[in-house]
Amino acid sequence: MTATDDAVPEAPAVAPEDAHGTIRMEGITKRYGALVANDGIDFDVASGEVHALLGENGAGKSTLMGIMFGLLTPDAGRIVHGGREVRFASPADALRRGIGMVHQHFMLVPTLTVAENVVIGSRPSHDMRFRRRELEAAVGEVAERHNLHVDPRAYVRDLSVEDQQRVEIVRLLYRGANTLILDEPTAALGSAQVKVLLATLKQLQASGRSIVIVTHKLDEVMAIADRATVLKGGRNAASLERSAFEQRAFTQAMFDAMPDPVPHERHIALDAAPRIAIEGLTVASSTGRPALRGLDLELRPGEIVGLAGVAGNGQTELLDAIAGVAHVESGTIAVDGADIVSQRPLERRERGIRVIPEDRHDAGLVLEMTVAENLALTMVPAGEASRHGLLRRREIRAHAEQLLERFDVRPGDPDRRVHELSGGNQQKVVVARELSGAPRVVIASCPTRGLDISAAASIHRQIESAAADGCAVLVISPDLDEVLALADRVAVIFEGRIVHDVPREQASSEAIGLAMVGQAPGAAATAAADRSATHPTTSNG
Amino acid sequence: MSTATNIPAATRFSLLRKPAVARAARLLLAALAALLLVSILLELLGADALTALQAIVEGALGAPFSLGQTVMIASILVLTGIAAAVPFTARLFNVGAEGQLYAGAIAATAVGFQFPHLPSAVHVPLLLAAGIAGGALWAAIPGLMKAYMNANEVIVSLMLTFIATLLAEYATTGIWPSGLATNTDPLPGNALLPTVSASTDITLGAPLAVVAVLLTWLLMNRGTLGFQIRATGFNAHASELNGLPVKRIQVLAFTIGGAAAGLAGAILVAGIQDSLIAGGAAGFGFLGIAVALVARLSATWMIPSAFLFAVLQVGSNSLQVKAGISPSMGAVIVGVFVIALLALGAIRLGTDGAK
Repeated sequence: MTATDDAVPEAPAVAPEDAHGTIRMEGITKRYGALVANDGIDFDVASGEVHALLGENGAGKSTLMGIMFGLLTPDAGRIVHGGREVRFASPADALRRGIGMVHQHFMLVPTLTVAENVVIGSRPSHDMRFRRRELEAAVGEVAERHNLHVDPRAYVRDLSVEDQQRVEIVRLLYRGANTLILDEPTAALGSAQVKVLLATLKQLQASGRSIVIVTHKLDEVMAIADRATVLKGGRNAASLERSAFEQRAFTQAMFDAMPDPVPHERHIALDAAPRIAIEGLTVASSTGRPALRGLDLELRPGEIVGLAGVAGNGQTELLDAIAGVAHVESGTIAVDGADIVSQRPLERRERGIRVIPEDRHDAGLVLEMTVAENLALTMVPAGEASRHGLLRRREIRAHAEQLLERFDVRPGDPDRRVHELSGGNQQKVVVARELSGAPRVVIASCPTRGLDISAAASIHRQIESAAADGCAVLVISPDLDEVLALADRVAVIFEGRIVHDVPREQASSEAIGLAMVGQAPGAAATAAADRSATHPTTSNG
Repeated sequence: MSTATNIPAATRFSLLRKPAVARAARLLLAALAALLLVSILLELLGADALTALQAIVEGALGAPFSLGQTVMIASILVLTGIAAAVPFTARLFNVGAEGQLYAGAIAATAVGFQFPHLPSAVHVPLLLAAGIAGGALWAAIPGLMKAYMNANEVIVSLMLTFIATLLAEYATTGIWPSGLATNTDPLPGNALLPTVSASTDITLGAPLAVVAVLLTWLLMNRGTLGFQIRATGFNAHASELNGLPVKRIQVLAFTIGGAAAGLAGAILVAGIQDSLIAGGAAGFGFLGIAVALVARLSATWMIPSAFLFAVLQVGSNSLQVKAGISPSMGAVIVGVFVIALLALGAIRLGTDGAK
């Protein structure tokens, strides 16, 4: 079933410009169970324009784009393309109508050549001729015509990230795409490569193609977008013409207004020596590209620092580096004055360094083992729960019972396997393990993710009480509310550096929001922002 | 990964109510399905299925000598089962128990011939220790290469099996030649494992296998190392973040498995075959994988599982005489049984349920 079969003529007269491909999405709604990912969103792309789509994680961008390129079907709303209402049965179907997507994680086969990747799946099955030379010439011709230099005979596995991205674009152009959706296309690129990509997109636009760019970075929006749509919580939050592009307008639409500062009873000795001092920390991500680029951050005893930032700016690597499971290329992490970079994870834990990882299933818990066993995970290798190589099971159990009571985990049964617990109680098990036993430094990533209000509040109280005992806490969260609810100080991480660092009282949602999208405020804002070489900012809006 | 062994006793009783019953039912169903398939196969070959199955059971258990043989082969299979199960629990696939068995057998043979005048009370323990060490060292290679060089442990342990098999062949012809191409001279009497029951030829190897099961159970369920092996197998990332020395644990898990296989090798040369025989392992190392999977990696289940495979192995020798079909049908029956178990989900590789 193709879109053409499916298309029904639209009653009103067709505007002339619609003839070659304006796409209008009207009242798009998509639900996943109780979650409404898209709630009556309107979105349109005019022929030959660059349209930026912005929003926080979870704002509904991916769902909307999934519907646009045929991967998802909306529960309500309609798509009008070239003057006709259409329904896409699949991405291939959407591509036949000229709409294609370049995913953030490329969909290429590493063991095939560029030319093969470009045509794979596009040839009708009855056409069994596969003339390599012709094919390569045809692919090369499409690439050169758009100034996308890439060797059709090269194997994809040998290509750099930027070249692979070019292959993805060539693939769509080869198949006649007029509308290209790019999902965070600059996430994996360096700044020089970003310039090249933006120039390419300009060129594609000049050749009459429409481009939707999904991004977190205001720089890029300012640089090439004609229009911008901001989503928040699954709804349209703002739609701006280029003439109205202004930093404030974007951040106000993207992020909630900040709650008023709540006075703390905690007293932090501002002149105390830092409990943890991170200097020039440089770490590569698992894919090898730099994730932390000389990050500096200090926490004093008893201080809770909120680390805001769009996910993927180095937060995970920061936690891993402090825990001792990431390879640190350079820089120091000093705890109470002693550098711990060369220490093994167990030594660090014995020193009082604790982490609450973002993904409790992947990194926090051993789901198949019991609650008691999970609570004893560190005790066992540390030799605290054993005698002559055998487990001291009564002590492990007693330790678990005490923590279950203190952290109010339900059911309070130490012998239950963790996967049988609800998500909130699983998280409490992680928090109980990490906050018990006199922690000195706690790195908590999204500590209340997926928890109800009372469970979240109880975890917040536990974090505050750890801080009251002199522990330094770094709360990493893309959720500004959580950061602001707890923090004495707010820092913002962007592309592996701290670009903004202010006391809670001086924090403004505008400055934080801007810093999160790469528009670090003036150097005068804080001394900390001075220290960390700020990301070059441009604004040509 | 087994439901029954990986959790403290208190939980086991509450779990016994359902998962264990379901598991027993699945095993029974798989056994029946396998029986049905095998019967159809036997009938197609023109043999009477009932007669054939009877021949297998009688051939394995009917006479003192064959019963003894079954018990001894079960002992070997218990140990190679452990050799697969301990690394599997750490989610490392040791398919090289056959090679580790040969490494243990060669080391044991060396001790046997090297000290011909030692008293038995010293010689036998020394020989067993050599077997254990040989297997452990052979297994440490893939363990180290996996943990520190990220080499694929399946390929490394398998390739090392070929090397060990050829080394055993060389040992019988080049190091301790006897004139016969396939085996060495008999080991000195003082090196041989004492017989436990003369009428059945059951030697010290059988009680040693039971001791190995108990030790494995203790290690995996009560020991700190077993705790860490299980945690690493279920979730290496979380284990590492919690300070477990994941790489060291991986090497140890592999080495412990190899030690069990090496002990099997020592028992084979000094307690069953009385000499080193090229090809003497006869696939017991590989069969250990099936034994471990049917036992779902549980140490205690290893005994009935190994016994079942030993019955099929020994009993199929009488197929030719009593039912007029090839003894290799025994191997077919084993294969069909394992496939039936897999198909019915009675055994599963990797995660056990949950995750």
